[in-house]
Amino acid sequence: MTMRFILLMLLGLHFATGLSAQRIISGTVSSNSENKPLQGATISVKELPTLGTVTDEKGYYELALPDNKEYTLRASYVGYNDATLKTKSLQNETLNFRLTENTTMLDQVVVTTTRTPKLLKDVPIVTRVISERDIRRGDATHIGDLLQTELPGIEFSYSMNQQISLNMSGFGGNSVLFLVDGERLAGETLDNVDYNRLNLDNVERVEIVKGAVSSLYGSNAIGGVVNIISRKSEEPWSVNLNGRYGAHNEQRYGGSVGFNRGRFNSMTNVQFTSIDAIDLSKGTDNEEVGDYSTIYGNSTLNIKERLIFTATDDLEFTARAGYFFRERDASESIKDRYRSFSGGLKGNYRITERDDLELSYAFDQYDKSDYLTPNDRDVRDYSNVQHTLRTLYNHTLADKHILTIGGGYMRDYLMSYQFEENGNHTQYTTDAFAQFDWNPHRKLNLIAGVRFDYFSEAQLSHLSPKIGVMYKVGNCSLRGSYAGGFRAPTLKEMYMNFYMGNIFMIYGNPDLKAESSHNFSLSAEYMKSRHSFTLTGFYNLVDNRITTVWNQELAGQVYTNMAPLKVAGAEANATGNYPCGISWRVSYAYTHEHIEKGEPLLSSTRPHTATARLAYDKEWKNYGLSMALSGRYLSRVTADVYTEITSYEKTVEQTYPGYTIWKLSLTQRLWRGIDLTLAVDNLFNYRPDYYYSNSPSTTGTTCSIGLSLDIEQMFK
Amino acid sequence: MFMSGTIVLLSFQACNGIFSDIYDQPSPETENEYGFILVDESSHTGRIYIDATKYTEWHYIDLHEKLVTTEPIDSKAPEKWDFAVHRYDTKTNGGTVWESSVSDFHSLPNLTTLPSESFIGDEWTTDRITIDMSQMMDGIILYAEDYYNPCLSRWLDVDTSTMPPIYTLSGKVYLLRLPDGSYAALRLVNFMNDAAIKGFMTIDYMYPVTL
Repeated sequence: MTMRFILLMLLGLHFATGLSAQRIISGTVSSNSENKPLQGATISVKELPTLGTVTDEKGYYELALPDNKEYTLRASYVGYNDATLKTKSLQNETLNFRLTENTTMLDQVVVTTTRTPKLLKDVPIVTRVISERDIRRGDATHIGDLLQTELPGIEFSYSMNQQISLNMSGFGGNSVLFLVDGERLAGETLDNVDYNRLNLDNVERVEIVKGAVSSLYGSNAIGGVVNIISRKSEEPWSVNLNGRYGAHNEQRYGGSVGFNRGRFNSMTNVQFTSIDAIDLSKGTDNEEVGDYSTIYGNSTLNIKERLIFTATDDLEFTARAGYFFRERDASESIKDRYRSFSGGLKGNYRITERDDLELSYAFDQYDKSDYLTPNDRDVRDYSNVQHTLRTLYNHTLADKHILTIGGGYMRDYLMSYQFEENGNHTQYTTDAFAQFDWNPHRKLNLIAGVRFDYFSEAQLSHLSPKIGVMYKVGNCSLRGSYAGGFRAPTLKEMYMNFYMGNIFMIYGNPDLKAESSHNFSLSAEYMKSRHSFTLTGFYNLVDNRITTVWNQELAGQVYTNMAPLKVAGAEANATGNYPCGISWRVSYAYTHEHIEKGEPLLSSTRPHTATARLAYDKEWKNYGLSMALSGRYLSRVTADVYTEITSYEKTVEQTYPGYTIWKLSLTQRLWRGIDLTLAVDNLFNYRPDYYYSNSPSTTGTTCSIGLSLDIEQMFK
Repeated sequence: MFMSGTIVLLSFQACNGIFSDIYDQPSPETENEYGFILVDESSHTGRIYIDATKYTEWHYIDLHEKLVTTEPIDSKAPEKWDFAVHRYDTKTNGGTVWESSVSDFHSLPNLTTLPSESFIGDEWTTDRITIDMSQMMDGIILYAEDYYNPCLSRWLDVDTSTMPPIYTLSGKVYLLRLPDGSYAALRLVNFMNDAAIKGFMTIDYMYPVTL
């Protein structure tokens, strides 16, 4: 802010001194993709480095040139590619700039990596950002679809009872922490949060940090953190309506209303989705099509509201509330229902230019119930309620070093059908952390932090350290880090007492140790002109991973800590982005898991995965075109599978086949604010020979059509 | 101010969640009555509720005396009974069963129009009456050898081709012809209790059928 003001003053000074020459170049700077004016864009003159100006709130600028020579004007704006135009005549003239978004996102600000806003290019830990534009291109309904399309090494598959299960570079759903604007989600099913809660309407960006981040986020952040950042309302008022229709009667309808008046900024969003059951055996002669033959139909309703009140220039309050409902047609007699109620209040206070403080309270409740159609009863058998209080303080030293101190308290209540007599347990957790972000030189950044967590029921204390370093040489950034990760045993893992399907018992274990990990990461990033290349290598030493094993004495399964496990791998990412509107991205990940000799390797992490996208985006005055061809490849994998569930003595090898899936989407901007999207999924009609739980649940090529209306743009 | 407000908020009942009223409360199973829980003498109808959660029991129903007797699977049947239930399986005491296409007793066709060959009797089975599921995941299921009525047992379809199985109630009325020539109409209303635990059988009956 201060820098921009000084720049404005300096440039304004030049502008004032140049007025006497009386040759005025004027015009506007606007965004190519959204056709909105860019306020604060810088206009500079190549031949006269000391001359320049910035645009006003309408994106308008005026610049006085000292003589009648030919000059080259350059327009720059954070997050956009620079554009240059030459003066044509030797008199006053209008030069309008249309800037395209910078897809390498070097100027993108991220918050997840350090818990303070920081430029993506300056964070010392490798962070991936999926921008709003990528989200639109992906045409995804929820976070799972999006992550799989954008990042390699991520696989969402089915676990028992068609519950969705994540594998991110060898780490399961309970080892990857999902956040919405920095807040945790309550509830889980078979170790995974309800990904359907995380829809992508009004999401500004998704930030992903792979590797341990427990030094900032505590438990569960062993394999990484995925943080979904909501979009603020920027227009004075906005109304969006959207709908999408696809195969299997898949329907998605959404609407949002936003306003930004005076001290108030509000965004309300409603989304409804539904899909019929999918018969996987359709069109095949095969009676045994797979581990399951029908994918259950389901519907969701998601309502979110966020209201920001700016009390003074230095004090801001954010209130939010949300409701989520999902019904799954598990059978004619039983519908599985999932609900969440959430709310929160946050205060941000800028004490001085160098100090800011955040205080927040968050409430999240996640319920599961069975709706019994024969007697029309909706009986709840699971409820997880979390109350969280957090505080975060940042102090900037010498305008470049940042000290971050924070602490939190959480009350975690769990009632579950998996406890004895549908009982409940409560746990309290407290934490405190500190981090120092040291920037001794513009080429060097060092970050170090430590966090302490305490869990009351497990009586567990844990320290999670982190140290990261980044060094910039020319166009190259080198990063290296060590981070400790951990996951405390959950109430479910400690107290389960569940007769699984009337077949065998599963017992909790109050003596479980915390899962812990040591994560080492090295990366090199090279950026030049319109291309970027990133290479990352990582190594994780994971100990005490929590799993269930058969216990002969108890004649049931018991939660136990596993032997140490090593997860190592490498990732490569390359992008290109050209002025003609063509862009491309190829990402590849290799993951290798290694367990002690003699121990079974039960996870089915695919060693090789890749994602790719070729896109073309072009905007004209009244028409816009965006085409994207995206694909993902997952290699085959061989895992150990127990031959008997009640002895755990013998295993056999099971190979799951690899596959490649491509999607083609075409979005046309027909008129102001009207976008029509046509998509063809599974372009080459891939169909598994046998549907394993980790096979894509596709029945072949499908099409979808979507329409989005930004009403406010029609009135501009 | 902010902190104190939040702490006050935390100390409320909302600690353990909100909106619990939107759910139905399951009645504790210990308070439930079993047997002939509803009897309407004037219309000869009523409701039978059985805890058939155990794999090792037969529940014998005597429609004449309105009695349910539970016996271990390897024990003798009581002296008088008309049909019996084991989990979702059924057998009859020398009776035969016809599956109608209707879902309420009053829509049943005239009894005299029904050909007797369409009534199906019990059959001896060795792989239907499951008594031990503990090794099911390893593909080992233990069965008792016993009689089984394939027609009446169609009142609930259990599709085990997927895990977990898919349960579908037929919703149809079944006519049971007893050896004494009288008829009973039976309909399985539910196979779960309020807490969605399977094996709690709610059966509506009409006996004798006087249509």
